Amino acid sequence: MLELKNIHKSFNNNEVLKGVSIRVKKGDVIVILGPSGSGKTTLLRCINFLERADKGEIFFDDLRVNIRTASPADISRIRKRTAFVFQNYNLFNNKTALENVTEGLITARKVPKPEAIEIAKKALSKVGLSDRENYYPSKLSGGQQQRVAIARAIAVNPDVILFDEPTSALDPELTGEVLAVMKQLAREGVTMVVVTHEMSFARDVANHIVFMDGGVVIEEGSPDEIFSRPREDRTKQFLSRILPVWDYVI
Amino acid sequence: MDLNIRYMIDTFFLALTGVPVTLSITAVALLVSAPIAFFMAISRIYNIRIVKQVVSAYVSFIRGTPVVLQILIIYSLLPSWLNAMIKSLSWDINIFDMNPVIYAYIVFSLNTCAGLSEIFRSALLTVNKGQLEAALSIGMSAVQAYTRIIIPQAMVSALPNICNLTINLIKGTSLAFMMTVKEVTSIAKIAASYGYNYIESYLDILIIYILLCSVIQALFALVEKRIGSYKTLTGSAAKAV
Repeated sequence: MLELKNIHKSFNNNEVLKGVSIRVKKGDVIVILGPSGSGKTTLLRCINFLERADKGEIFFDDLRVNIRTASPADISRIRKRTAFVFQNYNLFNNKTALENVTEGLITARKVPKPEAIEIAKKALSKVGLSDRENYYPSKLSGGQQQRVAIARAIAVNPDVILFDEPTSALDPELTGEVLAVMKQLAREGVTMVVVTHEMSFARDVANHIVFMDGGVVIEEGSPDEIFSRPREDRTKQFLSRILPVWDYVI
Repeated sequence: MDLNIRYMIDTFFLALTGVPVTLSITAVALLVSAPIAFFMAISRIYNIRIVKQVVSAYVSFIRGTPVVLQILIIYSLLPSWLNAMIKSLSWDINIFDMNPVIYAYIVFSLNTCAGLSEIFRSALLTVNKGQLEAALSIGMSAVQAYTRIIIPQAMVSALPNICNLTINLIKGTSLAFMMTVKEVTSIAKIAASYGYNYIESYLDILIIYILLCSVIQALFALVEKRIGSYKTLTGSAAKAV
């Protein structure tokens, strides 16, 4: 359904992505793992043009976009088929939880207001925040804010939701509520691409794992392949640094 | 010494007739400069080449010169320039008959532009870039993101500074008497010059400026409370607004 081909991106002569390709099928939950600075977040941001890659192509079903020559209309089309959940939530601070969710529906997608409110209420109840509809973001906890952000993402009914380290700004005790919502979405068949350091999520929920380092995909495969039988040394190295800590926490 | 109370009361009401002129200079300066200042701020935030340099130079120039000097230069230079231009175009307009308030509009707009652009720039920077990205990510256009998300929040942090600027502007318009504009200060000064009642006149306009500025401050406080409510309200209280 979504395919990225040979994505290159540099910041000030520092090449962050050196030709990355990934393929996402409908219903996939893809987790991108890798050490910091490996280009995971940049890759995710390149998908919906929050960052414009220098080179590469994006295929979205029948929509084929060369990133370098993409027109504003192409960008808008891709953005309307994707949604993004940010590390630090990025809720609209001047809007209530409900308005945060309706905003994109009403202004970007021209959904009539009563219908938008209905969709938004459904989305908020899905993330368990029906009782917080009229709260402003400043009055919500980090976990609640991130759940509103997820509701905002699912309300626009995108083909794929991109998650950029959705739990890494949260207190450990609040990550659970966000991960639970994401697991629920995965069960419902929502297509997701997730950058995370939550190994339990990667192992239990993902059906495909991409390991990146130094701006390239080192290895990819099912969680079982990556976690139990990694082929590449760098993958083994990374997992050996991460997993003992994880086992200890459990 | 004795104050001529009779004169004071008369002059007070006489000077009050200058309030519309004072306010019109303030309003015109603010309205003309607001959109220009916004784009000046944007050009600096987004590092638009050439425009950014021109804007920076302009702001430094305005900040670096006294308003009195700007008034003197514009009021002595502009009319002759315009006159020469109109003559060369052989139009039948006498530029020297023009209401001098026009020059006041020009000077104070030029000034306000510079100040306001810096206020807008700092205010826009207080809204984190992530909210713009979030708006774009759900398919909103940059213009929609600015008008619905960024500007409403930037306004909240800009308001105290805009209030400051407006009050300084109102007080600054008193310098328009140098351009023979009939605003509060000039009316009171002219009245005083007939009988040397300067103290009474000055006390009159002092009261008028304090009243004007208090009203402006109260208005701004009201607006601030209204548009900044999202910072303090919760739950059902928010619904009522």
